[in-house]
Amino acid sequence: MKILALHPEKCTGCLRCELACSYMQTGTFQPSKSVIRVSPLEGYTSYAPYTCTQCAEGWCMTACPVGAIQINAVGAKDVIDDKCVGCKLCTIACPYGTMFYDPDSAKAYKCNLCGGAPACAEMCPTQAITYEEAETADWIGDFAAERTAYVLKMEAPDVFAATRAGAA
Amino acid sequence: MPARHLIVGAGTAGLNCIRTIREEEGGGAASEITLVAAERPYSRMVLPYYLGQTIAESHVYTATPASLAAWNVKPMLGRRAERLDVASRTLTLDDGATVEFDDCLIATGSRAAKPPIPGADGPGVHCFWTLAEARAVIAGVTPGSRVVMVGAGFIAFTILNAILSRGASLTIVEVAPRILPRMVDAACAEIVAGWLTKNGVTLRTGATLTGIEESRGKRKLSFAQGAPITADVVIMATGIRANLEWLDGSDVARSPEPGGGIVVDDHLRSSARTVYAGGDVARGANLLTGMPEVHAIEPTAQEHGRVVGANMTGRDVAYRGSLVMNIVEVCHLDVASFGQWEDPSAEVYTAVRPERSLYRKLLFHGGRLAGAVICGPASDIWTTNDVGMLKGLVSTQVDLSAWKAHLERNPFDVKPAFLASHTTARLLPQTILGRPSRSPELPQWVIR
Repeated sequence: MKILALHPEKCTGCLRCELACSYMQTGTFQPSKSVIRVSPLEGYTSYAPYTCTQCAEGWCMTACPVGAIQINAVGAKDVIDDKCVGCKLCTIACPYGTMFYDPDSAKAYKCNLCGGAPACAEMCPTQAITYEEAETADWIGDFAAERTAYVLKMEAPDVFAATRAGAA
Repeated sequence: MPARHLIVGAGTAGLNCIRTIREEEGGGAASEITLVAAERPYSRMVLPYYLGQTIAESHVYTATPASLAAWNVKPMLGRRAERLDVASRTLTLDDGATVEFDDCLIATGSRAAKPPIPGADGPGVHCFWTLAEARAVIAGVTPGSRVVMVGAGFIAFTILNAILSRGASLTIVEVAPRILPRMVDAACAEIVAGWLTKNGVTLRTGATLTGIEESRGKRKLSFAQGAPITADVVIMATGIRANLEWLDGSDVARSPEPGGGIVVDDHLRSSARTVYAGGDVARGANLLTGMPEVHAIEPTAQEHGRVVGANMTGRDVAYRGSLVMNIVEVCHLDVASFGQWEDPSAEVYTAVRPERSLYRKLLFHGGRLAGAVICGPASDIWTTNDVGMLKGLVSTQVDLSAWKAHLERNPFDVKPAFLASHTTARLLPQTILGRPSRSPELPQWVIR
């Protein structure tokens, strides 16, 4: 299936994806309602977008007590608004931290790949987010490890040296 | 002859088992499935929303006669299992009917348990566990009602919003010295208590209820210490007990340890090879410690049910164990805990921002996160995201050694640790059944 591939090394932190996403998901231009979230790393000099991987288990989907999370036509796990009661079990079941809850509607929501035309990928000016046929992956892990290393070293040089020695 | 599966109990474990059996069969050779249950299938998890009038009663049902027919299930509802004969593989029901099976899932769940207090069975004193009990509470709690809830645990907190939204006033009494004694630590409980008080809920902790007297349509609750309280409606949220007594005299082994439960192996088989157990009645493995424990929570019942369903169709699915986790929202404050959140041997980092009612507690064993407690306003997206990421960190037991010093300084800054420790890479291959999960709606081959 087509998935969102994330390329953090291309992300400039412009947050256009968050604006586009919040508009598609909730009809408002509000980064706080976006289900793709850009994390600043290394003291706001690096950025990484992060969103639902559409994982194989679908922890949110299997946890829902009323079957309100279903697989949509493009293969994304999608919240069916009329069925969601807002119990939040999905927010605790999802181990990626990519379930969201809208206090205004009292319902859960998440990345549904915009039904096949993801607004985040469309609006990204640097192709840091692409919608393509690929296996989903840990897009951010290596980048985040590298771009947080300096901060960790400054904070606690001893710990940093010890864990690096352990890893080597 | 097709295999005969018997499912006893139509709760989360039972229905997930049925669905998984049909998923595994994929529309091919269909086995016989008989469902025996005392009640129609519905979700207890969503009863609070029925009480709060945000959903209709029809919304609580997890299967209808039509969907059971579509799944090709023979329902025997409104009847209780009374005797299990393992040797002859026969279940006897309370009306004398018998069902023969090749394999069986015991998923009879729990019931509300009331303490033996004078007046606890009187009129206007309810539990909130079954649909019938929910209907009684709905009929009793009207605008202006004075409601007293006995017990300040998870169950009580799931219906707190609904009682307030019905226009009732609410007093919660708890025998322990603080609220949520089995879900969060004292510091978090204090934050939640402050929030509830601000929202008009009266709390009385350390209060031992000694009796409930009825007079002229009101109830007077007396306590070992302090003044009595008058209430229109009393809700007893004083714990649950597993429905296991009907197995007395059967060959299904139960644990003598505190918490009891049917002893199961990693395939959720009981001491009898043909009998599985799942959900609140099963003493399955704890994901983190491997120790057998009863986890009477929805996600455990769901995972147990699916693993049993797959194994009943001949698959060989070992279950790694379940993670204790709970989340509840009260008056727009999220409160959640995971794993070994009260482990006294853990290294503990906490942070409080009292002005925003934010709280984090991280418990480490070496470089691994063993448990967490989290609290924050529901409007705060970081709280919601952190809830999930903490579950990921606890469930994967990813090595956070490099991040411990950082998290000690700032227990709120979970996300960079989650991302940089490659938690996602650890999570992606994980599935409960060794295959991608299916969408929960009825597939086309079932609808026909």
